[in-house]
Amino acid sequence: MRKKAKLVVLLALCLSLILSSTVIAETPYRTYTVDGYGYVLETQSAYNPASAITKVGETSFVTPMDMAIGNDGNLYIADAGAHVVMVSTIEGHEVRMIGEGTLQTPMGVFVSDDNKVYVADRDAKKVFVFDLEGKLLNEYGKPDSPIYGTSMDFKPIKVVANGTGTMYVICEGNMNGIVQISPVDDGSFLGYFGTNYTSLSPFQILQRLILTDAQRAQMLSNIPSTPTNLHIDEDGLIYTVTQGDRDMALKKLNIAGKNMLDSDPYWADLPAAVTTGQYHNMLVADSDGYIYEYNEEGELLFMFGGRDDGRQRIGLCNKVEAIAVDNSDRIYLLDSDKKQVHIFTPTEFTDLLHEALYLFSKGRYTESKEPLEKVLQMNSMFDYANQAMGHAYLQEENYTEALRYFRLAKSADGYSDAFWEVRNIWIRNYLVMAVVIIVVFGVVLNLYKRRIRIKYGQDGAPAYLSQKIPLLGNLKYSLYFMRHPFDGCYGVKREGHASLACANILLGAYILVSIIEKYFNGFLVKTVREGRYDIISDIGTVLVIFIGLTLCNYLVVTINEGEAFLRELYCAYAYCLTPFILIKPFVVLLSNVLTYNEVFLISFANIIILVWMVVLLLISVKEMNNFSVKETVKALALTAFTVLILTLLICIIYVLFSQVIDFISAVLREVVYRIGS
Amino acid sequence: MEAKLNMKKMGKGFIKIIIAVVVIVVIIAVAVMASKSGGKDSLNVSDLQPTVSAPVAALSDGVVDTSKQLDGHHLVAANENYELYLYEPALSIIVKNTKTGAVMESTVRNEERLGNVNETWKGFLQSGIVVELQEETNTMQKKLGIEGSGAQVNVELIPGGFRAKLDYPTQELGFEAEVKLYDDGSITASIPESSIYENADNKKIGNIYLFPLLGNSRLDEKDGYMFVPDGNGALIYLDDKDGRFDSGYVQKVYGSDIGVGESYVLSLLWGSYETHNDAEMILAPVYGMVHTGDEMGYLAIIESGDEEASIYATPNGAYSDYNWITAAFRKCTTYIQPTSNSGGSVTKVTDRIKYDIHVRYMFVDGADANYTGLAKRYRDYLIEKDELVKVEDTFKVRLDFLGMDVENWMLWKKDVPVTTVDNIREIYTDLEKEGVTDILSIYKGWQDGGIFDLPVTSYNVASSIGGARDLSKLMDECAAKNIDFYLFTDGVRANTETGNTTFDTVKKMDKRLYTQNTYQNVYREFVYWTPQKTLENLKTLQKNFAKKGVNKLALSEIGNTMFTYTMGDTMQTRRVSKYLYEQALQQTSASMDLMLEAPVQCYWQYAKAIVDMPISDSDYIYTDQSVPFLSIALKGILPMYGDYVNFEANEREYFLKLVETGIYPSFYLTYENPSELIYTNSSDVYTSQYSVYRQQILSYYDELRQINERTKNSIIVNHEITDTGVTIVTYDNGVKLYINYSAKEQKADNVTVPALSYVVGGV
Repeated sequence: MRKKAKLVVLLALCLSLILSSTVIAETPYRTYTVDGYGYVLETQSAYNPASAITKVGETSFVTPMDMAIGNDGNLYIADAGAHVVMVSTIEGHEVRMIGEGTLQTPMGVFVSDDNKVYVADRDAKKVFVFDLEGKLLNEYGKPDSPIYGTSMDFKPIKVVANGTGTMYVICEGNMNGIVQISPVDDGSFLGYFGTNYTSLSPFQILQRLILTDAQRAQMLSNIPSTPTNLHIDEDGLIYTVTQGDRDMALKKLNIAGKNMLDSDPYWADLPAAVTTGQYHNMLVADSDGYIYEYNEEGELLFMFGGRDDGRQRIGLCNKVEAIAVDNSDRIYLLDSDKKQVHIFTPTEFTDLLHEALYLFSKGRYTESKEPLEKVLQMNSMFDYANQAMGHAYLQEENYTEALRYFRLAKSADGYSDAFWEVRNIWIRNYLVMAVVIIVVFGVVLNLYKRRIRIKYGQDGAPAYLSQKIPLLGNLKYSLYFMRHPFDGCYGVKREGHASLACANILLGAYILVSIIEKYFNGFLVKTVREGRYDIISDIGTVLVIFIGLTLCNYLVVTINEGEAFLRELYCAYAYCLTPFILIKPFVVLLSNVLTYNEVFLISFANIIILVWMVVLLLISVKEMNNFSVKETVKALALTAFTVLILTLLICIIYVLFSQVIDFISAVLREVVYRIGS
Repeated sequence: MEAKLNMKKMGKGFIKIIIAVVVIVVIIAVAVMASKSGGKDSLNVSDLQPTVSAPVAALSDGVVDTSKQLDGHHLVAANENYELYLYEPALSIIVKNTKTGAVMESTVRNEERLGNVNETWKGFLQSGIVVELQEETNTMQKKLGIEGSGAQVNVELIPGGFRAKLDYPTQELGFEAEVKLYDDGSITASIPESSIYENADNKKIGNIYLFPLLGNSRLDEKDGYMFVPDGNGALIYLDDKDGRFDSGYVQKVYGSDIGVGESYVLSLLWGSYETHNDAEMILAPVYGMVHTGDEMGYLAIIESGDEEASIYATPNGAYSDYNWITAAFRKCTTYIQPTSNSGGSVTKVTDRIKYDIHVRYMFVDGADANYTGLAKRYRDYLIEKDELVKVEDTFKVRLDFLGMDVENWMLWKKDVPVTTVDNIREIYTDLEKEGVTDILSIYKGWQDGGIFDLPVTSYNVASSIGGARDLSKLMDECAAKNIDFYLFTDGVRANTETGNTTFDTVKKMDKRLYTQNTYQNVYREFVYWTPQKTLENLKTLQKNFAKKGVNKLALSEIGNTMFTYTMGDTMQTRRVSKYLYEQALQQTSASMDLMLEAPVQCYWQYAKAIVDMPISDSDYIYTDQSVPFLSIALKGILPMYGDYVNFEANEREYFLKLVETGIYPSFYLTYENPSELIYTNSSDVYTSQYSVYRQQILSYYDELRQINERTKNSIIVNHEITDTGVTIVTYDNGVKLYINYSAKEQKADNVTVPALSYVVGGV
């Protein structure tokens, strides 16, 4: 016994040596993560390639198709070409072969918690169940139930089983879903599970509407894809990946078959296998050798790996069939093309992150902060850690810190929650004082207004000033214009209530407000990356659009017997911007104190502004040119057309010009090359 | 009226003439410029002859008893410790250590032991020299052994060895090989270029293997390992591989050749993210074989032909049951010549690449028969040949700064400064307060236009980082504080958007421009300057820097880039690019302190230190252990600085690796948050902010400095890994470093080393 123990220690030691001696080498692949904006960033290596198993004892792999890790720590590899399940230690020593003589084409293997080895055999059309020693315990063929479908073949390729022994089988060519088989009565069919659905693109819908039945029959039938692989975790949740399903490639299904992920976190094309780690983290292996790690909500933590570039470096694969994770977080990847199992060990960076994930899932938020801080120390742009820090602080009711981290993580939901709390506290503390201040301010303002009236008469100071300075009068007119557009247009055209200077000021104000909106909007409604300013191009965009539109419109109305001059149009359109200039600043202010619960107020305000401006614009076009409604519509349609033509023209000129330049430089190069050589 | 019309006509004609004249003048001017740029500095370097200096050790040219036999071989040379035997028909040699009786054979003579191999491999295993034949434009080259291929061998004994004339009558080619034994226990083997003849038009020498099986062993019959110079060094054990591998380690010495376009699978994530890291390069033209059981081994140094050599290390199970390591020398190669834009192409064969092949096998025995012994032998060799000059070696922490890069902004580019001169000053002051004074810095992205505004030929400092005057002031301050402050530039790459790259850029063998894709947003691709132009650029830079008093320069790429290219119609070999780069470095190092990024062996003598020294190997599937071979050879002679600590995921292990190898730590710093850089070409710098790394710099500095106080100016004399997994590094002043990489406390030499930690012991 002691000898055995010694041997185990020795083995463990050897293993740690094997694994640690190569860990520091530069990885053959890069590791990426995404930030809160969805921008792909490189990060420290998450897992380093440690070693590769090329053989189990003396036996090479022929066509390894699936792999599972047992509770004993051994690897169970289903080899369809060798017609066995090979059991190997992680150093590649043979433990035993299972199913020799029984198995025909084992495509899938699963080891349950109660130490049963389930094998999906495609050509034998059966699921075999062995014990760990390789003794055949049971076998299940095609279900008799009529619900299964009498004409439907039974070609199991992947299998998992839950705690009660219920099997979930993926069958080749069976699009109805995962076949659920109960072990009672030698395998009773329980039904289909986790069926994939098809989706139609708008084009396909259109096609179906137009085409005749005969034509439709010739089209490729739109049938749901069979899941490619599946996995079951200790809570009995089933994870599936489906190749060719762009919308929902990765699914996490509860016992009722409902997908618990809101959106598909998997962005690539060829998912081959899925598994889960100790922290409910999901790992998806891509057929091309990429590995994606997600947390339990499906947020991407890492992606790494890649295709072998022909250099035989550990960690690069050609065709991945299976992925597994052991109790030390090591990842195992089975490659059927290279016929190898690659082993990856987590780095210190990932260990820290996993520790945090673990503590987090156990609700020990305060403790999880320590590893998270270390993660952020190593990579401050790792937004998942920022977000987790935010959650930890939120749980601790330290809302200001939570707010700070959520903002760093660009996590709008978290930010909204934290901000609600912060605001709540503020309201509790300062509500009375705020009300008092507002009341006092109102009274003071009233008193001031009264004094001004006494001094300047009933119309107050503004009227007095606007009489003295015409520009102020013109500006003030914009308020009138806003409320009385018909009269306003008349004023602009006939009564000289507009000046270029005034229009310029309004346009300037519009630009200013739009910049303020872009950069000082509340975090929840902001659309630009924080800390980035691009003011000159903002100004340029507004100017180009406004002037371009005005010009095009002028061109159109002049040939349509419109009465307005360019100057008048420019002024009138500038006046149309007033609602935006006046209301938007309040919206921006508001957006800074609102949470997601009240964010509809902002959309509402934005709609009001937009509608108001459009109405003003329509009326301006009509009134300034003395158009009828019909003429107005025509003018607007023509303007749109002109804008289109103008854009097209600019594009053509640009393309032609660059072609000419390319041509000249190509000729010169050719000349130079001929003479040079 | 008519006259007017005529005038008009004439006027029109006149304008036409003027236009024609202008066009002609322009074309002539361009042509003159082109011919000038092509013509200048057109060194006739295509026939460069190698300079292999004679070994210091004496030739073992004493008279020997040629009738003395060993395994069918007869004695041809001997000295006190070694005997050299030869079997003429196969040109097979045996080297015998007379003290221990251990032997190393260069062929497999015993047919029975060959096992189940095909004729080709049988010829390979049984021949002292193997030629790979390039027939027509076949991309597969046929291996020619000696006995099976009808080759004629004429051996002539010369003092200290023999000269063999090999003729392959069927293939109408042949050459001479010379093998000599020296008193220091080394054997040289050479094939001079002048002896090579190829008379057939369609049959050429593709590759030559010199004694490919020297020191071979079958399966696990011998204890020991093969040493491959992958990165810092790696070992392939001579254990039974159970047929796990169907190929072995093959790498070009000094990295791949971009000019011939070696094929590889490009792997892009979602079509836009480069996911591969390049493998480590072979920086030193060496390889080795050690039979630890027999206490015999050798280190092979390629003294000539290294530019064209590839190292093959093949474990048993791949092709045959034998373990063998060798170098193959490329004499010609095939390349694809595209003939249309739509993918049409023909295969072409290059002319013969002219150079002498010269390999030195330095035998070690006794306590030196291990990788440390090989490394020590290598160090002595380099010092003896003046290829390595001892530089003052004091511990310094390397803090590199990224000044600025640019991002696209409307129609132009916008500066994104992340570390200004003032910021650096502030960082230095802050560190000085904490006692960090021994600093070496490389300032990247200081030039106008940012880090990728290439080439840099003048001292044109970006105003957004503080301007020329301020930077000069900072450099003066650094000089006063004893901080080594280097300005950085890329010696090889050219940016098509910032420089005039119409001329003087590298065209591959197929005469197409070489472009390097960056997979970044601002500058999408780079091209290479011809080495001639690099030489010229560096000359200009040197002159302009000297005017401003700048005398510290860090160069990237130049130290480890070597390629075949074409100029006009002539092929320029890797040897030419190496020769010209060496000229450039020699010239620059005469008046400036140079810092080279991971340079190959031939440039070590020009550097004040090596930066980005590989700390480990590339982790190939067939290598068993990583060993710090280069570190053992260089520690105490030439300061080495590692890769940036920032991007290491295994921080603690990396730190221990630094302790083990004696490589000094490096940090890549910015003052601002690196998130500023995400729209620039430097978007791969994801963690670099000084405030984040401050604490780590302080602790690294303190710990590593203390260790280096003990090992200062000493060289490594032993490196071993105990059974308990503790690495012990012994210095010649008696200091021993015990490093424990495991997660458990370990004991070695009665020293207890805590988990993931180290102990400084010895006297």
